[in-house]
Amino acid sequence: MKLRLLVAMIPLAVFTFWAQTPKSVWDGVYTDEQSKRGETIAKEECVRCHGQGLSGGEEAPPLAGAGFVANWNGLTVGDLYERIRISMPTDAPGRLTKQENADVLAYMLNLNKYPAGKTELDRQVEVLKQIKFEAEKH
Amino acid sequence: MTRKCFWGIIGIACLTGGLMGGAWAQSSPKDGEWPTYGADLANSKYRPLDQINASNFNKLEIAWRFKTDSLGNRPEFKLEGTPLMVNGVVYATGGSRRAAIALDAATGELLWVHGEHEGARGAAAPRQLSGRGLAYWSDGKVERILYVTPGYRLIELDAKTGAIVPSFGKDGSVDLKLDDDQTILPDLTTGEIGLQSAPVVAKDTVIIGAAFREGMTPKTMRNNKGYVRGFDVRTGKRLWIFHTIPVKGEEGYDTWLDGSAEYTGNTGVWTQISVDEQLGLVYLPVESPTGDYYGGHRPGNDLYGESLVCVDLKTGKKKWHYQLVHHPLWDMDISSAPLLADINVNGRAIKAVAQPTKQGFLYVFDRVTGQPVWPIDEKPVEKGSVPGEWYAPTQPFPSKPRNYSRNGVFVDDLIDFTPALRDQALTIINRYKIGPVFTPPVESKLDDKIATLTMGTASGGTNWPGGSYDPETHTVYAYACNACLTPISLMASPKEISDMRYIAGTAGQPVTIRMGPGENSGADSPLPTRAPRAARGGENAPARGGDGAPARAGGGGVGGLSVQGLPLIKPPYSTISAINLDSGEIVWQVPHGDTPDAIRNHPALKGLNIPRTGQSGYNIGTLITKTLVVAGDGQVTTTDTHPRGAMLRAYDKATGKEVGAVLMPAPQSGSPMTYMLNGKQYIIVAVSGGPYSGEYLAFTLPREDR
Repeated sequence: MKLRLLVAMIPLAVFTFWAQTPKSVWDGVYTDEQSKRGETIAKEECVRCHGQGLSGGEEAPPLAGAGFVANWNGLTVGDLYERIRISMPTDAPGRLTKQENADVLAYMLNLNKYPAGKTELDRQVEVLKQIKFEAEKH
Repeated sequence: MTRKCFWGIIGIACLTGGLMGGAWAQSSPKDGEWPTYGADLANSKYRPLDQINASNFNKLEIAWRFKTDSLGNRPEFKLEGTPLMVNGVVYATGGSRRAAIALDAATGELLWVHGEHEGARGAAAPRQLSGRGLAYWSDGKVERILYVTPGYRLIELDAKTGAIVPSFGKDGSVDLKLDDDQTILPDLTTGEIGLQSAPVVAKDTVIIGAAFREGMTPKTMRNNKGYVRGFDVRTGKRLWIFHTIPVKGEEGYDTWLDGSAEYTGNTGVWTQISVDEQLGLVYLPVESPTGDYYGGHRPGNDLYGESLVCVDLKTGKKKWHYQLVHHPLWDMDISSAPLLADINVNGRAIKAVAQPTKQGFLYVFDRVTGQPVWPIDEKPVEKGSVPGEWYAPTQPFPSKPRNYSRNGVFVDDLIDFTPALRDQALTIINRYKIGPVFTPPVESKLDDKIATLTMGTASGGTNWPGGSYDPETHTVYAYACNACLTPISLMASPKEISDMRYIAGTAGQPVTIRMGPGENSGADSPLPTRAPRAARGGENAPARGGDGAPARAGGGGVGGLSVQGLPLIKPPYSTISAINLDSGEIVWQVPHGDTPDAIRNHPALKGLNIPRTGQSGYNIGTLITKTLVVAGDGQVTTTDTHPRGAMLRAYDKATGKEVGAVLMPAPQSGSPMTYMLNGKQYIIVAVSGGPYSGEYLAFTLPREDR
């Protein structure tokens, strides 16, 4: 009986999890502390190509600003996370851990004026793909 | 170094044998094929096909698609290839391995794949990833495919099976780091030299150039040299060599003062080469010598840096040359294929060669004699003040055609959507030296000019995809970036970084080696270990560049030069121009690409009616057919008329009016091509960028519209 109850509760737990998952970058999907960790990593790994404040370098595009936001508008945070995970940093793609990638992503959201919240950005792509990247708040 | 094919070649061949037989059984007129990178050795990128036209372009559908993710150990987001199509088979390079592939041209089914595992040599290569393509050759009996690996080896394959041709070179390959009239330093494994462009085969001779790392921060003034060589397509034997930097005793050696020809390197031909087989002449677009922005170690005009050089196809002996930029200091290179054009000027038939450039000049010469078709005037240019630099007192300016894209920076070009935006732009520009084409670089200073702000230099005008030429109307069609600002600034180089006195750098930021896209990203680059951060140097450890150098804090590049997120320069941000070579006049010019979302939706521009701006970018190529100019957008947009994506557009060749567009999932990243098979016209284009890894898309019309 107890086992049955437990099994019956699984869909509810899953539903609750998804219901609690923020749906857009406007919903406070990272924390300030995580963004600060990401900033430290970005200074070591990203700015040499993407420039100070990730504002763009000679050979690499800006990761902050209207152009960047427009490029990712309509996709998900998971899409951006995957691009970073697969191809960055370009001198050694895959060097960062999943957690470090998530932290850098949090910093990028902060740079692009998306609000911080109380929950850290997850490091699982399946979860991040539930968060829409939206240029405008709807 | 070990060699192995990705998958069992024989297995794949057997699996698809029936289909391959069918594909090769097809015979198609040559006009319906695309046998070289640029459609033909004139690099016209033209095919007189007209099934796809203005009336039906909007109806194009995806016939098939080929994702390149598995052609290497990691996906690639920079697919720049243009496939070939011969006898019903599409050939291309792709993936982080730069694999050669054969696909059924009707279905996209994989027929064979070949990849080279080059280990440390591939990992050290200056030009990694998928490259721009390959070459096809046949003597009517056998068919061959040739391509250059990231590690700079020329590979010859049987076009029918993908198998190595053992009789070519040594066991099917030629080590291009050998027999090059120089010793590649420091060693064959790590010596800097490579090539990303497609080989050219003309009359049984394979012509191969050379490429290096991005040249704004050379580690040494004594780099390897980029000679051009011809090889026998059957045996791989070297037939000739052309010294792009003359050796002692050769003409041009004395243009390198103080003996600097002895040690200066680079000066390769990294882009596509054109050939007139009837004349037996080869046209070489030569790049910059060592030091894109500083030439103090190579005083003099530096032949054949940034010169168009014509050599004999059989011997490699020079016939004529024309230096487009004396003593290069702006990374103008010559970045794309010369266009061979038979034209008629004032009643005189001329076998011409037209050279599109980053600086937005189209230089036009008699390709037999090298004489300019219209006068090219030597005009005085500004002398700079960087210590130790040598400045050419004059530079060549074509009198015709007029420049087809911006090649200088002027106050009049600044953003002017609103007075407030313009005022902010004026404030920003104060920190920079600006001026016309050939305004010299500055030493970067915090209390003076931080950089020379340039256009029509490193990433301006027409870059590697080049232009197209219509032999029927004698018209060149060329895409150009019209707003690609490049701040050029120099800093004294720390000795541990480079032996150059100056390299690119910005005051207030660490001076470091700058890497180009793709460096260390190929499939031979080892997958990094994910040790804990502390074990890798930990937090707050000095930032490291790929070579162990301290990292720079970034430059004021593309993103740093904006006003409220808007480009500093006013539109159009890019154009396609039609330039008639009989008259030397620009016939039409249109912005290319949707207005970027960041501009169309910008709050500061609300209520303003802004015409299509085009999109800034340097890697767009054009295809021309009987009636159309075809080119894709370089950026994704989301508009009222289409969901998120990039459009593949068609323009009326005669007027420039847009006559159709179809949605692609990602920006065009390689130039489009077309072919005819079984009564169907196809257009293939490489797309990649943002979250989208490399993919070849083949478009055709629905059955009812053919």
